This record gives sequence, C-alpha cells and structure tokens, in this order.
Amino acid sequence: MSDIADLIGSRFEWMSRDELISWQCEALRRSVAQAAKSRWYAAKFREMGLDPSSIKSVEDIKRLPFTTKEDLRQSYPDGMLTIDREDVIRVHTSSGTTGTPTAILHSRADIDCWAELMARCLAMSGATKADVFQNMSGYGMFTGGLGLHYGAERLGMMVLPAGPGNTARQIKLIRDFHVTCIHATPSYAMHVAERMISEGDDPSSLGLKRAFLGAEPYTEEMRQKLQELYGFKAFNSYGLSEMNGPGVAFECPEQNGMHVWEDAYLVEIVDPDTLEPVEEGEVGELVMTTLRREAMPLIRYRTRDLTCILPGDCPCGRKHRRLARMMGRSDDMLIVRGVNVFPSQIEEVIMRHKWIGGNYLIRLTKAEALDQMTVQVELARSEFDGSVETLRNLRAQLQKELREQVGFNVSVEVLEPGSLPASEGKAKRVVDERA
Amino acid sequence: MYKEICVFVENKPGKLSRVAETLGKAGIDILALEIANEGQFGVLKILTAEPDRAKTILEEAGMTCAFNNVAVVEIPDHPGGLLRLAKALEKSGINVTDAYGCILERGKRAVFVVKGDQLETIETAAAEAGLRVLEQLE
Repeated sequence: MSDIADLIGSRFEWMSRDELISWQCEALRRSVAQAAKSRWYAAKFREMGLDPSSIKSVEDIKRLPFTTKEDLRQSYPDGMLTIDREDVIRVHTSSGTTGTPTAILHSRADIDCWAELMARCLAMSGATKADVFQNMSGYGMFTGGLGLHYGAERLGMMVLPAGPGNTARQIKLIRDFHVTCIHATPSYAMHVAERMISEGDDPSSLGLKRAFLGAEPYTEEMRQKLQELYGFKAFNSYGLSEMNGPGVAFECPEQNGMHVWEDAYLVEIVDPDTLEPVEEGEVGELVMTTLRREAMPLIRYRTRDLTCILPGDCPCGRKHRRLARMMGRSDDMLIVRGVNVFPSQIEEVIMRHKWIGGNYLIRLTKAEALDQMTVQVELARSEFDGSVETLRNLRAQLQKELREQVGFNVSVEVLEPGSLPASEGKAKRVVDERA
Repeated sequence: MYKEICVFVENKPGKLSRVAETLGKAGIDILALEIANEGQFGVLKILTAEPDRAKTILEEAGMTCAFNNVAVVEIPDHPGGLLRLAKALEKSGINVTDAYGCILERGKRAVFVVKGDQLETIETAAAEAGLRVLEQLE
C-alpha cells in the first residue's frame, strides 16, 4: 500500500486518524495565524475580539468566523492575501460569474501543494507515470485544466493538454498517443461516446483505462453507462476554485465516496440555516478550512454544496474521510457545462430588455449529452409592434447578451404574456430536466 | 390606408384554433390570413372588415395584438385583373416585397394588399391609374 505514497512522496497518505487530527490541530493554528496577516481576516478577528493565538485545537474551529463567496467578492482582488505580492505566482478567478469575480492567489508553495494533492488523487486511482493523460478540461482562469495538468505532471504521466472541444481531434490524439486516462466533464465524455457511436465507431476501441470526471453533478447511472461504453473505470472528482480547484476530494478504486485530503482541508458539515454541525452521516453544507495554504488561507469557507460524510472505514485503508456525491446546493447556483451560473445573472440581462416582461423561466435540458439552457420570456404586450422582424432582432440581441454573460449559447423562447406561472412569493425560476 | 391586425402567437398546436374560435364567436369574418413564422413563435396577420372590433376582442381573450398599416387596392377578379395595378406600380418605380391578394366577390372584386414603407406612393399610383383605394372593406 505504501507504494503509492512513495510515488508522490507524501507522508500524509496513510496517516492514522490520530496522526491526522494531531496534524490538523497544528496546521489549523498555523493557518489561522497566517490568515490574521491579511487585511480582511485581521479586521474580522479584531471586530470579533478573537485572538488568533487562542485557537489551539480542531474543536476551537467553532469560534472562528465563516467565510462566504460574498466575503471573497468584497475582499477582491487581494484583501485576503497574506504574503508580499511579488511572492504570488498565480491567480485563478471563479468561473462563470460576472461583475466582481472571486480570486484566489497562490504562492509557489501553494501551487506545489496543489500539484501534490492532485497527484495523490491520480495515484489513488491507480494511475502511474506509465500512463498517458489527455486533459479535455479548459485551461486558463478555470482551475480544472491547470489543476489536473500539474498533478499529472507531478505523477510523471505524459500529458496532452488538449483542452475542451474539437471531438474529432480528441479521438485522434487518444489513438495516436495511446492515451490511457482522460479528464473531462461527464457530459463531454458522453458526447464523445455518442459521436463515435453515431459514426459507427466503438468508444471501447480507444483502450482508455481511467476517466477522471468532475466539474458538474451527474448521476451514478451516467457513470455506469460511461464505464460500459468506454470500458474504463470512472473516478469522481470534487473541487472548487476557492479550495484551489480539483484535488480536494477524489475516489479510490472502491468508487464509494470521495476521500477528502484532510491534511489539507478541515471539513465540517453544517446545517445551512442554523450553521450548527449536523449529526455524523447527515446531509448538510460542506464547510472547509484550508490547512496547507500559504498565500490566501480561507477559514470555514461555505461551499454551498450539500453532501454528507460517509460513515465507516474505507477498505482501501486510507483514513481520510469520504464525501458522498454532491446532492445539490444550499443556494440557487446552477452548474451548466461545468460553468457556475446564478439565475440572478440571467435576470440581470432580462431586466435590460423592455420588450419582454420581468417573468422568466430557465429550463435546463440535455441534447446529445450536452447541457442546454433555454430561457423562456414573455413578450410585453405594449411593446408589440406587429413585426416578426423586430422580434427576431430583439431575440437575437437577447441571446447574444446572455451568451456574453454566461459564456455558452443560450436559446431564448418568446412566449405570450401571462403564459409562465405567475410568481407568488418565491418564484420558481429554474426547471432542471437534465437527469 | 387600411390596417391589418397582427397577433403574436407561439408556434405550437392550438394557437390558430384559439384565434379562429375567438373571431368566429364574435361573428368576425377573416378575409385573409398570413403567418410570418420565426420558428418558435410567429405573427398572424389578419385582414378583416372590422379591424378595431377584432383587435379589441382578441385582446380581451388575452392575446397580444397590434395594427400594421397596409394599402388595400381594389382590382377586378378576372384573369389579368392585377395587370393595371402592377403596371402603375412599375411606372412609379415601386418594388413590392410583401403583399397578398384576396377575393371579395368571386368573379367581380378582389383586393391587393400591399405592405412596406411606401404606402402613400402606392396609393397615389393606384388612384392615378383609376383604381379604388379602400379605406374600409365590406
């Protein structure tokens, strides 16, 4: 078993529960002291009358403040930075959001740690330096691309930084370079398979052994189907840009829950309303504290993802606890084609258009395994001039603005006034028919 | 100058029935009907002798309507009946891009309904050619 740990050289991989907790206490003390060096947390601790040096053990976490996405926005771009700007070597911003994004700044040690965590995920799946890895995730500000890339290189795999899209080229590269592992969103993996089948080809002929799937929620049924089609083993991956990106939690070959690297992340599951911890094994909001991040530690970050900790030990022998598949969000964020979208972003665009009313509905569907977003709006009675050309142009303009807002194509349906359900109190804005 | 009624409709079964039923119940005769289709939705253009009443009734039934100005020129309903108007438009250098015709009395009277932004020129040309430009339809 220790072969894998040696592969990455991590002393954390096979720590016992006691060793992990003892490390967490030490790391939490350091993380809080480090956070206190930032303008944001210094002010926050002062305001609360909290002495960072009074945090001594994991139990003390309850005395620390939560950090929210809104806090990240308010402290943008570097209010939570704890080191000299010149020692920052990377910045990533959150995907999909507009207006003020959220930014995470990394030191060299942070990038190094991230690569280690990611490499441990890949090694845990059984991948070695003999594997060839094609990364179909987007590079750039999105963390999915570079995160996996650095991890795979750390493990020593040959990496093809293919990026997303261009399906014919993806297939050719897999064949030409004898690729054994891929990283993709589940919907893209399904798209490639369906494309191959429609062309009389067989996805299992690619010879892939492993797929690392993440960035969007998907069902166990879809995993099974992908495994059958390709003949690979599909591993679930969980991450978020605020916690570096991918490499936070990952499945072992048991494929039963994702081990969270508890040497790097202190995990709490809380009731999203009361913010009190839920009973062990109960579903709640995942809250995470970075334990090994230098440039920008985050304390009790509310991920808004709903999950639970799976009880019991994993047969693989790791004592890092396992998260269940994400079960939804405690806010209204949507994940469409791996991009985070809030209904308020759609609303913002709609409200700029006088020719439609304020009522709208976002419909999410799947076409050829790809997420599709349709926004239904109602024509404003008084703005109708009888011309179909006018409507055609207005609709095209709205579609263009929505695409600019969220980063993918959105189709708009114009309905007759009064055809959407009237909003009484909290309007139902989203119909998700992707499952 | 005359006006046709434009009704916004989603492109799905039953929408045309609703318009037909509403107008039928009110005893309003549809002289001509045209559909401008834009895929997911479209606009119905309706020519009737009672545009104001028809619009009110359709709106009361919850539909979204507007008027669109058109030039309605009466022509004889027989082979070649359109020729005099066509020649007059040609002489005035008018390019007709959107129009339709309909019969008022079989073998006797028909109308040619022209749209666009040159309605007054069209009406003048028709009148100069000795054709009747209609302000109402019976």
